Amino acid sequence: MNAIVRLGPAELTLIEQLKNLGAHAEAERLTAAGLPTRRVESYHYTDLKALLRSVPELGTAGGAGAPHFDIPGTWRVAIVNGAIGSPIGAPHGVTAGTVSGSVLTERDDMLVRLNSALTQQSLSLEISGDIAEPLVIDRQFAGEAAHVATGAKIFVADGAKVTIVEVYSGSEAAHLGNHATYLAIGKGAEVTHITLNLMDKAATHFATNEYLISESARLRTLAIQAGGALSRTQLLPRYVGKGAYADITGLSLVGDGQHADITMDAQHAVPNTSSKPLFKSIARGRSKAVVQGRLVVARDAQKTDAKLMAQGLMLSDEAEILTKPELEIYADDVVCGHGSTCGRLDDDHLFYLMARGIDKITAETMLVRAFLAALVDPIENQSLKAALTGVIDGWLENA
Amino acid sequence: MTTPMLEIRNLHVRIEEREILKGVNLVVPKGEVHAIMGRNGSGKSTLSYVLAGKEDYEVTEGEVLLDGVNILEMEPSERAVAGLFLAFQYPIEIPGVATMTFLKAALNAQRKARGEVEISTPDFMRAVKESGKQLNIDSEMLKRALNVGFSGGEKKRAEILQMALLKPKMCILDETDSGLDIDALQVVSNGVNSLRDGERAMLVITHYQRLLNHIVPDVVHVFSDGRVVESGGKELALELEAKGYADFDSAAA
Ligand SMILES: Nc1ncnc2c1ncn2[C@@H]1O[C@H](COP(=O)(O)OP(=O)(O)OP(=O)(O)O)[C@@H](O)[C@H]1O
Ligand SMILES: [Mg+2]
Repeated sequence: MNAIVRLGPAELTLIEQLKNLGAHAEAERLTAAGLPTRRVESYHYTDLKALLRSVPELGTAGGAGAPHFDIPGTWRVAIVNGAIGSPIGAPHGVTAGTVSGSVLTERDDMLVRLNSALTQQSLSLEISGDIAEPLVIDRQFAGEAAHVATGAKIFVADGAKVTIVEVYSGSEAAHLGNHATYLAIGKGAEVTHITLNLMDKAATHFATNEYLISESARLRTLAIQAGGALSRTQLLPRYVGKGAYADITGLSLVGDGQHADITMDAQHAVPNTSSKPLFKSIARGRSKAVVQGRLVVARDAQKTDAKLMAQGLMLSDEAEILTKPELEIYADDVVCGHGSTCGRLDDDHLFYLMARGIDKITAETMLVRAFLAALVDPIENQSLKAALTGVIDGWLENA
Repeated sequence: MTTPMLEIRNLHVRIEEREILKGVNLVVPKGEVHAIMGRNGSGKSTLSYVLAGKEDYEVTEGEVLLDGVNILEMEPSERAVAGLFLAFQYPIEIPGVATMTFLKAALNAQRKARGEVEISTPDFMRAVKESGKQLNIDSEMLKRALNVGFSGGEKKRAEILQMALLKPKMCILDETDSGLDIDALQVVSNGVNSLRDGERAMLVITHYQRLLNHIVPDVVHVFSDGRVVESGGKELALELEAKGYADFDSAAA
């Protein structure tokens, strides 16, 4: 760390912003280390120093915040440019409020640090019972390009059942969002957590989702990245109770000029937990999708059953899909593994469909949908499933 | 003379620099069923793929006319909506595509090409149920992904189900009999025969005379080394079965 770090305009702006908010320690760290480069292992494929060219001004509260993306039959709370709207009419069993500061557990990660230093106030949700209506946290950007850090702290009580959807969207501008969600799931609770990045093509989107999964709890996540020039979603599940189970899934849809990264770091801390992380990427044009998946199994976490799968579909010659699985296993009686596939649509499949009269575009769409079926099919709420299918179909049509 | 349903003129085809079809000439008039027999590797499936429009084949010479229209420049989907149907020797498994979704898409593609509106779901269900019943197809099977986990015989029956639904004017059946047990052969043959009429033409590729007892052809062609070397009545199939292909090889030379 003795070499002098040359700071770029993005870093200088960030340092300035940190100082203005009184986060002097973080400002000093950033001055000394700069943004992570490819030499930092977890940013190897997403070199922030090279990719983040500038940082817009810190956002100021504004805008009414009609949803850009509406899912019928849901309850919604908006966070516009970081300002948390007053949550009204929450369903029975949901207590909404705010907490000061940020929500993530301290961690040696630049995006987590920045989020923690910059977030002034976070949304808080406490959930108990069986909530039929999906809850939507709608994080929006309004007006000129803004830099916004947000947080949401969610506690799901023992035995509760809920679906939470987080939408990120905004005006046509080079916004920078750095978002955090801390989701603690009680014993035996069942949670579906969907995040949907629909940011403008010029925007930068960072999100970190930390999950604490208790005994016999079941979690299903789906992180969809469809917007933004540069996106990175960090998924940090921690399995802390026996029988905890999660399907951690993600999908990056990237087109010309987009770079999307999904990075998971899963910690299996106790015996008998299981997970089936599944990440899919579809890339077209000149684009890049990155999937990093790390499974860490503690010495005590015997009988861990974890299989990580990454599948990529390339629809152009200039597209790149990069996958890096990592297993760190300290227990001896576990079933852990990883696999990855990457390729194009199968010509024989395409021919078979076309030989029955289905035109090429329709046939390709059918095959892409088939590729994604394993991510979308398990979502129980039908109007939510339809909305997500709509996002995917919209992306496919706007080739 | 009326336009034949299928006319192949001096068709030469290569794969990766190797000539597989070496001047195929074949005419199938409307309403007729023709059989093609020939030894393994003689180019029968290649012919069927080239007719259906599969990529990777280079047509170096010749023409293929479907009901008078040259189809060689058409996409596979255009040929299909023009009325050509290939029942595959090896039907493809497509995970994630529901069989019913696929059938409906295929049927609607045909209707769209004819300027008709999309089929209603009840009408579609009825049509599938009817054809399925005739072919002894378990409706549970149709709830699965396309051809995925179907047995060899089930795949072949599913091909004929598609044919029955799409009602093509030119059917090409590539070894539809292989992998079928005796009862299934009867069922499938009945399915095929019920589609015979004065208009629809069929080209049935097979190794076994047995199939031709069920689906009785008007003409039998012997295929050898990439071309038709002999054509005759249905008794030609019996002759082939008795003598083997050797006698016909000399005719090719
Ligand atoms: N994609 C390919 N690349 C190279 N050679 C091929 C390809 N497809 C077919 N061939 C060759 O072309 C020849 C004809 O094959 P084809 O499948 O048409 O034979 P067939 O008459 O259908 O045989 P069978 O009775 O065994 O089904 C064979 O020698 C085969 O190896
Ligand atoms: Mg063959």
